[in-house]
Amino acid sequence: MTIANFIFYLVSSMILVFGVLTISTRQLFRSAIYLLFSLINVAALFFLMDNEFLAAVQVVVYVGGIIVLILFSLFLTQQAGLKLPLPGLGRSMMAGLLSFFGFVLLFSLLLAASPEADENSFSAITMKEIGFGLLNFGKNGYVLPFEVVSILLLAAMIGAIAIAFKTKKE
Amino acid sequence: MGAGSLILLIICGVLFSVGGILVAKLFGPSSYNEQKLEAYECGVPTEGGTWIQYNVGYYLFALIFLIFDVEIVFLFPWAVVIREMGVIAFLEVLIFVFILFLGLLYAWKKGALKWV
Repeated sequence: MTIANFIFYLVSSMILVFGVLTISTRQLFRSAIYLLFSLINVAALFFLMDNEFLAAVQVVVYVGGIIVLILFSLFLTQQAGLKLPLPGLGRSMMAGLLSFFGFVLLFSLLLAASPEADENSFSAITMKEIGFGLLNFGKNGYVLPFEVVSILLLAAMIGAIAIAFKTKKE
Repeated sequence: MGAGSLILLIICGVLFSVGGILVAKLFGPSSYNEQKLEAYECGVPTEGGTWIQYNVGYYLFALIFLIFDVEIVFLFPWAVVIREMGVIAFLEVLIFVFILFLGLLYAWKKGALKWV
């Protein structure tokens, strides 16, 4: 077992452990923090695959942004500090069934993927390639989608502010 | 920069944090006091529960932060290639940032940036 393999197993087991903790803890706030650790380890996995851009997105957007948003929305509820009741039998059976089907789906996809693909045939996309692709207006450039993204973000921001102020007045 | 240095970093990180705590436990004096268990709030005893409902204004700040967070993600690849692409890349990002700046202006005008 090489060192890279060892790190892969270490990081993956951390993702799994914190993922299980996320859904098994009965305190919402702790659940969010466990999710944070799980997502950081996913970023580590991306780094291991030499995908720096995805790792950066994972850390900046998911760890830095989404988790902050989740924590803030937990604070908006009045029950952030309360212990959640144990779920009923029907609900846990439903959740188990759903996660089982999700697992089967992912596993079949994994088996369908070519098994002989090895490390040598895999090349990570560098930040530079993404940058050139994003900013080129030539044949393989995506500069128009790049600018449209800013309009999408603008719409999201204005929408959020408009909704927040509407509820304030009522 | 291989996997070996990464594992060295992990070991150093664990040693650094665990070692600090252990050394402090070993050599520091320890005394128990009821008051030490209380939440610290500027030295004043806290009033009421700490799990109160937050004002929606904080949430708005978090949302606006998230938008600019996503914007920064798009600037990473830009920052890598700007030296090679030159003025064109700069102009493209100028448009990008300007459109988002309009959102900031809107938030400002609406008073969403006022600290409640």
